[in-house]
Amino acid sequence: MKLKNSSYLFFVLGILLSVTSCSDETLNVEPPKGTPLEENYYQNEAEAYTGLIAVYDILNKQSGGFDNFITMLNAGSDDHYAGGGSATDGAGMQSFSNYTISSSTIPTSFWRHYYQGIFRANTLLEKLPNIPMDAAKKARFRAECIALRAYFHFELVRCFKNVPLITSLIPASEIYSVKQAQPEAIYAQIEKDLAEAMDALPFKITNTTEESGRWSKGTVQALLGKVYLYDPSNKKALAATELAAVNGTPGGISQYGYKLLSNFSDLWVISNKFNSESILEISHTDQGNTGWGNWGSGSDEGNSINQMVGIRNYNRSSFSAPDYAAGWSFNPFTDAFYDIIKTDPRFAATVADLKSLEAQGKITYEHGYQDTGYYLKKFMPMKSDFSTNGGNGELNYKQNIMVIRLADTYLMEAEALGGTGARAQALLDAVRARVGLPTIPVSIDIILAERRLEFAGEGHRWFDLVRTGRAAKVLASRGFIAGKNEIWPIPLKELENTQIVQNPNY
Amino acid sequence: MKLTKLFMLCFLSLLFSVYGQAQDIVVKGKIVDEKGFSIPGATILIKGATKSTVSNIDGDYETKAPRNGSLTVSYIGYNSVSENISGRTKIDFKLVLTSQELQEIVVVGYGTQKKSVITGSISSVKAKDLEDLPITRIEQSLQGRVSGVFIAANSGAPGSSSTVRVRGITSLGNNEPLWVIDGVIVDSGGIGFLNQSDIESVEVLKDAASQAIYGARSAAGVILITTKKGKAGKMSVSYTGYTGFSSPARKLKMLNATEYATLNNESRAASNLDIQFPNPESYGVGTNWQDAIFNKSAFRLGHDVSISGGNEKSTFYVSFGMLDQEGIVATDVSSYNRKNIRLNSTHKISKIFTFGQTLGYSREKNIGFGSNNEFGGVLSSAINLDPITPLVETDPTKANASPYNNAGVFRDSHGNPYGISRYVAQEMSNPLANMQTMLGNYGWSDNFVGNAYLEAEPIKGLKFRSTMGAKLAYYGGESFTPVFFFNSSNSNSINNLSSSNNRGFGWNIENTASYAKSIFNHNFTVLIGQGHYVDNITNGKGVTYRNLPITSYKDASFNYGTPQADIDGYAYVGSERVVNSYFSRLNYDFKEKYLVTGIIRRDGSSRFGSNNKYGTFPSFSLGWVVSKEEFWKENKFVNQLKLRGGYGVTGSDAIGDFKYLSTIGGGRNYTVGTSGSVTVGFSPNAPSNPDLKWEETSQLNIGFEARLFQDFNLSFDLYNKKTTGILQDIELPGYLGSTGNPSANIADILNKGFDLELGYKKKIGAFNIAANANVSYLQNEVTFLGNGITFLSGGAGYQASTYPLTRTQVGQTVNSFYGFQTDGIFQNQAEVNAYTNPTGSLIQPNAAPGDFRWKDNDGDGAITEKDRAFIGSPLPDYTFGLTLNIEYKGFDVLAFGQGVTGNKIFQGLRRLDIANANYQTTALGRWTGEGTSNTFPRLTNNDPNNNFSNPSNFYLQDGDYFRIKTIQVGYSLPVTAIEHAGMSRARIYVTGENLFTFTKYTGFDPEIGGGIDKGYYPQAKTVLVGLNVQF
Repeated sequence: MKLKNSSYLFFVLGILLSVTSCSDETLNVEPPKGTPLEENYYQNEAEAYTGLIAVYDILNKQSGGFDNFITMLNAGSDDHYAGGGSATDGAGMQSFSNYTISSSTIPTSFWRHYYQGIFRANTLLEKLPNIPMDAAKKARFRAECIALRAYFHFELVRCFKNVPLITSLIPASEIYSVKQAQPEAIYAQIEKDLAEAMDALPFKITNTTEESGRWSKGTVQALLGKVYLYDPSNKKALAATELAAVNGTPGGISQYGYKLLSNFSDLWVISNKFNSESILEISHTDQGNTGWGNWGSGSDEGNSINQMVGIRNYNRSSFSAPDYAAGWSFNPFTDAFYDIIKTDPRFAATVADLKSLEAQGKITYEHGYQDTGYYLKKFMPMKSDFSTNGGNGELNYKQNIMVIRLADTYLMEAEALGGTGARAQALLDAVRARVGLPTIPVSIDIILAERRLEFAGEGHRWFDLVRTGRAAKVLASRGFIAGKNEIWPIPLKELENTQIVQNPNY
Repeated sequence: MKLTKLFMLCFLSLLFSVYGQAQDIVVKGKIVDEKGFSIPGATILIKGATKSTVSNIDGDYETKAPRNGSLTVSYIGYNSVSENISGRTKIDFKLVLTSQELQEIVVVGYGTQKKSVITGSISSVKAKDLEDLPITRIEQSLQGRVSGVFIAANSGAPGSSSTVRVRGITSLGNNEPLWVIDGVIVDSGGIGFLNQSDIESVEVLKDAASQAIYGARSAAGVILITTKKGKAGKMSVSYTGYTGFSSPARKLKMLNATEYATLNNESRAASNLDIQFPNPESYGVGTNWQDAIFNKSAFRLGHDVSISGGNEKSTFYVSFGMLDQEGIVATDVSSYNRKNIRLNSTHKISKIFTFGQTLGYSREKNIGFGSNNEFGGVLSSAINLDPITPLVETDPTKANASPYNNAGVFRDSHGNPYGISRYVAQEMSNPLANMQTMLGNYGWSDNFVGNAYLEAEPIKGLKFRSTMGAKLAYYGGESFTPVFFFNSSNSNSINNLSSSNNRGFGWNIENTASYAKSIFNHNFTVLIGQGHYVDNITNGKGVTYRNLPITSYKDASFNYGTPQADIDGYAYVGSERVVNSYFSRLNYDFKEKYLVTGIIRRDGSSRFGSNNKYGTFPSFSLGWVVSKEEFWKENKFVNQLKLRGGYGVTGSDAIGDFKYLSTIGGGRNYTVGTSGSVTVGFSPNAPSNPDLKWEETSQLNIGFEARLFQDFNLSFDLYNKKTTGILQDIELPGYLGSTGNPSANIADILNKGFDLELGYKKKIGAFNIAANANVSYLQNEVTFLGNGITFLSGGAGYQASTYPLTRTQVGQTVNSFYGFQTDGIFQNQAEVNAYTNPTGSLIQPNAAPGDFRWKDNDGDGAITEKDRAFIGSPLPDYTFGLTLNIEYKGFDVLAFGQGVTGNKIFQGLRRLDIANANYQTTALGRWTGEGTSNTFPRLTNNDPNNNFSNPSNFYLQDGDYFRIKTIQVGYSLPVTAIEHAGMSRARIYVTGENLFTFTKYTGFDPEIGGGIDKGYYPQAKTVLVGLNVQF
């Protein structure tokens, strides 16, 4: 079998050529399935809805992940210490608690996550006009986007004060030239957005099975009232008007169906989600199967506060002690706060008294950093709440968080009214009456004292002090510096290569 | 086995076939080597008869030949010998090995070259350098043996990979060299399947002039691995076996219970807290957690058998290997097992066609636990747990009370629970209990890597070759997590059983044509080629079943009829990566004196957008063998000298897929409605960057090779390597609101240094001495990070510290340590009060005597983050290795050591947020009063001066070390004693690994890849005995 050499040559060349002909097209690999391209997405209502959920996702910043709003704000108030395992456990909280907070200790996510929400809202707002879908639904999506965007701006402006106002997508050419806006302009935009959104939203959520957690007119109106209350250009009258519409007759059922729960402690029963007192509620679930890998990433749906305020190495030796799940001992109450709440009817629902349990020999626990023995009962995790679904149980607590509840709007309205008058008195009385306390003459000081007890551990106290100009005095012993610590430092990374200017005195 | 037998029979029958010839005389004889061993399969060419025969298995031959003709005997690797017959009927031949130095062949990618004419910078390790060394992973065979390559084991756990860096940190992203095994590109994660005994040679292409033939993926270096092939003729059977025991080389010195209690009290008292241990002495020595987990006699066993041989037409190499290795830490959950089979063969199909193939298969089983992690686990727990908690609680009243009455508390064989610490909880757990939860867990992988080629040589010198290579890997793991209770913060109430299965596949086709021709001393070799590479054809699935009706891993099974609600599953597919390439190379030399090499390669990658799919990578290099010049007088000092230099450009596409597109990402979920089920959210990820392109590395290399004083071989290379347009995810300002960061070509890095290799070989009387030394020096500097950007945010994090530990900044080494600088300790309040700024206020108002004085580097009168400075580099300046071989009669001794100097290690072993965590004994030297210490501060629980929470030079230690990696003493039985058994070699040896380490570092092990020690699994000290037998 002798062939000519040339035949071999052609044979081999043939192989060469046949393969060489797989040209450039072979380099164009299909994008992986499951990762859509932006240019092909937002084609229908279902896709638009996922875009809307991505905006709602940011609400978890209140109570999800390690750097969550509520434990942070608690740490900076006079009611709590930062706590945790040691002086270095959670540098953000620790430094806020002792007022050494700086641009390098402020967790960047408090800035970044809210802007992520704003970006997602702006993205959907830009895409919505071209998405073929039901017009009413489209209007509702749009209203939710601008209301959420307003809320994110509100959190940013009240924390950092000098922040960029982002109401559209930023072109590539302007990425590094964005500047901070005047706070007044930001408040104006927030109020405009909320007012506009209010009327396009459902009056209240009727399909609760499917839609609980989405925002209604009542939610946004309460938020608008709150924003007016914070607005530095004194819009307290407007605040009172909006909040009155939310509150209705003190102690009664409002037009939105809001009503104080008759039993204060029922507010902290996990199954009481979306109860009649709840106005702006952050939902959590134990079905997110969150693991350490995705904790704080947006795909986690657990309530982190539970784990954070749980007690380190808690072991009960007596069955009469509560069956708490262990945690990390953050946000212990100060002794001073204990002294003022110990006789209040809300004490048992507010404070987990580890000190007394330990003294009775019913439990042992590790005395964490700044341990006082008094922990935050409202969010104290029970073993029975510990998720046994996938992921890590400690990251999948399902307790919802009420960011605004009716008692809050009552007291905010009373405050907006200047703390005087019959309506202010009635609002205060309704809050006190619910826990069986008698009426006392209303005043701003009394309202603030009431708020401190009513909302202990819910993240309101620090803002209450700052908003009413009391922070410098009350927090002086913590190291609060007037003219500096009323707002947070802007995270260091935001200043690198940008036009962003650090807040005064940081 | 049957197949192999058949295979061997075929070859043997070929060997014995002798061609008969008429009319001439019969000539017989024996062919032997220098030592008198017979050489079967040698070719005997009868001059004037254009025919040949081969020697039989005993080295005998018999042929008919013209009475006045001549015989030429040749055998691969030996010099040919000719004899005139002159009427003789018996002629014996003795063949002498060809000189290795002159003929050394180096694999250069798509071919081989004589070492003497190479113009690039290539370091090799050959099989003979590694023979008989019980090396378990291929990277270790390079460590300390080649210059310009830094290697550090990632862990001392059996089967662990190593960090490999060729000439420094080339990029900010991927710095893994390209591994090419017999022409098949495998990622570095996939080289663990190789069996060291199968390796013929490892070549490291270090400069661009030699790397450029691999173009787009070669910038971080190329490592070519060639597996053994059979040799025509002599069949060889070889067995190597070894066994021995490992023990920890070093333990940390931790406080004992009394010391711990004392220091804990002191620390609490300093923070005005009640003391916990009123009577420290009552605790005695307490528990040594390290002793509980370290194994002083971890077993290791290896067997390798190979059979190779063949004839003029076909050769084969078959091998089987197995390795069993136990870890020295928590041996029950730390071990490695590997089984290998390899079959390589070549076949000359006809005069023109040659077919060859290689195929390796391995099965690996890996049992291990995570280490170098401050968040718990066996090692971290042993370091952080208090010594007061007992290993096992034997007091029956305590053993049945809280917390030991919780479900999931593990007990020893006597029914006593493993001690649970009251003081140190969180992720830290009793390591003996921790081990119980990992029993039965393992990871596995099956790897098939092979290639096949067809080569045609239609006219002499012209070769066409088509090669197809593929790598198929199956890998996964099985794990069972029982119900456990380590402490109340760390427990699991529902058991689960998980299994995962992944498949990865990659293949490539390469076609080359080469032509070699010599015209009047002008020698040319031209190569052109084309390649198509596809990899990451990957998918995988995993499943977890919860709540099985069992308590032990022994009963774990997926067959329990678990309800759907308790089953979780996942699956994924990877995205393919495709590269298309065209390449060519020209080698030219004149009289092997003037040498020229030119390479150009063009690569297209699926990782880039249409405007930048293709990149071109040229290189050019020259060599001049000065010692071949007429004017070069033969002298005793410089016997040979070659100068060479080259310049070239290589690339890297080592970045994620589809980074040039704007994609939508999931996981932005929220819970809507009352069912509690999660609603999925999607939104755009990072903005796209359609202009992404290759990062390019250009390298200039100048060097020489020389033989000096007859016995010394010296090679020296100077290089300057600049990477530009490094692909990097850039962190956008937060107000943009993107999730994830886009990639861009930013950053330039410069690596420069030298590589030096010196070899010595001498026979002095009955002594054969060989020594090799190598030294590499490297300087790494970031030269550009984008307009107006002086440093990159981020860097390695450390526990809960707000400050990144490392920073990449222009003018500095990549990822240098960045932190505060201590300036002694305040000995008294007066010193605190004296440390003031110009306005008279205290620079450290929170400080007390015993606290660090921090350097106020920016001079603003306060200690802020701006006072941080560069405090050290994790990269060594010098890496070096030293090998010494001495043979004396039947004895041989090998000593091999390697080390590094100039790097720093950040020792972050202690958990800062666990106030009760134990300390190392260095804490005994803490400040306790004026004049007691100027380096270790006072202990306090709240640490108001951030003595411990500030990353600072306090945590840095010199990483310099020199380690005697191997000492081996062997004895080969005299040939006369083993000949009758058909053996050609029988050797026994004793090996000691890591017996001595010289270092000042106080951690487990200075040989760590990353520079931050969070509790690395330490390297073991091992003593092995072994046996080599050859037939």
